[in-house]
Amino acid sequence: MENNEVREPIKKKWIWIGVVLIMLAIVPWYFPKGGEVTFVLGFPAWAFVSLMFSLVLCGYLSWLCATQWNIVEDLEEEEK
Amino acid sequence: MDLAFSGADGVIILVSYALVMLLIGYLSGRGKNLQNSLSDYFLAGKNLGIIALFFTLYATQYSGNTIVGYAPTAYRMGFGWLQSISFMTIIIAAYLLFAPRLYVISKRMNFVTPTDWIHYRFKSNPVTILAVILMLWGLGNYLLEQLVAIGQAVSGLTGGTIPYQFAVIAFVLVMLAYEWMGGMKAVAFTDVMQGVVLMLGIIVFLAGSLYLVGGNFGNVGAFIAENEPAKVGVPPMDAAVNWFSILILVGFGAAIYPHAVQRIYSAQSEKTLKKSLSRMAWMPPLTTGLVFVIGIIGIMMFPGLTSGESEQLVGMMANEIAGINAFYYWIMIIFFGGIVAAIVSTADSVLLSFSSMLSNDIYGRFVNPTATEHKKVMVGKVGGIIAVAALLWLAWNPPATLYEIFVLKFELLVQVAPAIILGLYWKRLSAKPVFWGMLIGALIAGLMTLTGFKTVFGIHGGVIGLLVNVSIAGVGSLFVTTSAKEESEAEEMTSLKVEA
Repeated sequence: MENNEVREPIKKKWIWIGVVLIMLAIVPWYFPKGGEVTFVLGFPAWAFVSLMFSLVLCGYLSWLCATQWNIVEDLEEEEK
Repeated sequence: MDLAFSGADGVIILVSYALVMLLIGYLSGRGKNLQNSLSDYFLAGKNLGIIALFFTLYATQYSGNTIVGYAPTAYRMGFGWLQSISFMTIIIAAYLLFAPRLYVISKRMNFVTPTDWIHYRFKSNPVTILAVILMLWGLGNYLLEQLVAIGQAVSGLTGGTIPYQFAVIAFVLVMLAYEWMGGMKAVAFTDVMQGVVLMLGIIVFLAGSLYLVGGNFGNVGAFIAENEPAKVGVPPMDAAVNWFSILILVGFGAAIYPHAVQRIYSAQSEKTLKKSLSRMAWMPPLTTGLVFVIGIIGIMMFPGLTSGESEQLVGMMANEIAGINAFYYWIMIIFFGGIVAAIVSTADSVLLSFSSMLSNDIYGRFVNPTATEHKKVMVGKVGGIIAVAALLWLAWNPPATLYEIFVLKFELLVQVAPAIILGLYWKRLSAKPVFWGMLIGALIAGLMTLTGFKTVFGIHGGVIGLLVNVSIAGVGSLFVTTSAKEESEAEEMTSLKVEA
């Protein structure tokens, strides 16, 4: 059963590749400097993209905490 | 901050907050013998449920400074300050690196402080002592910053009715009193009240400021593009590098703050801990994110402020918002009281952690290991009060030179991260290289700050120190021969077993 499996985030490489990729998307190093700034909902386009990926990071980490971490939970909950 | 909108009303609100905090402290400690156990006093008996744990994590990471200081930064920097969302979020990623395993070990071994883990893992007094010094130094400076901020916020809120020094002393006494009575329990339960006020206050503040600029954030962007185009442009390359650097510095630094680590120990169960962190991951957009928007709106409301003037931005905006109608007036007063409460709530966690390290790591480990737990707790409590008195003296008599060493926090703290995190997973990591890595990393970070080279090519001294630190600890450990026995001991220490 999947629930009884020990799940520890550090053991899963894909988690950290995901974190690094999202970080690379958040920091606006890849946008061309200068030139006309276009706006999306009051945000410059680069900032809007950065904001969206910042929210992706929140959702990703929140989801990781909830689903990819299970070491002693089953034991502890049984004891209750 | 000069707030014309309040005075006597502000005083009433502040007194009410103080009374509520004292009441919570009294109720948390009533009828319990908290003083007889380090774990009961400093870690609430390792039994914090989801609501208390979530809010104490929240109130510890987000201070009143998050509002009063970050909005002006957004004002000056423009959209580049979006980084405040990501650097507060990445702290959760750093937690995910070590909290799951450290939680299990801390329950098994009944740890009280982060040093307990370091000492258990490396069995080396030099490593333990150096880690304690770095952590106490970082904590002390953090506390100093909060104490100064309390005075500024209170005298601002009351329009000077309550003078700065009186405000600091009054609130510090309130904080010491509830902490004395209820320990971590009082800290966590006051954090619930403080956290709720802060969150709601930010939302109303944003609503009021949006109303004042015509209700359309699109206008704000257009206004800035026309008048201060640099604040909407794509950040230059060194600013991007700086952004990466701050993600590393704050991510690791804030996650291994001793009071942050102690919140891992305090959790009632793994389920509570992961649920709290899972919710915490959403707090940056709702807190630093909204404060960022407030700062950006400030650019349109008060264009052309100098750097010094912009520090007053939150007070200036609050004045305008309070003028909208009676509803906003009272919310602004409650909110400013909330800012004070939020600073106190950060300061109390830091102080409690400081006391626990004095009690457990210095007195209990090196001075009088055979002392009863009651005595250790008392030493921590009294030591904490002395430390606060010393910091207040320092705040009012700032040294003319070397003031920078009292600003160092993350830069030094983060140097303890390799010992704590790598130590959990790498059995070969050994004490000597860890010690030298930590020492040299801290020296690099400290010297760079003292000599004015805070960053090189946008990279912070603390991050450069950390890279050197990890390299020394890592490469050094490869050269140290560890016996099979030592490796199996490390295996045992870092195992995920529940029982010792």
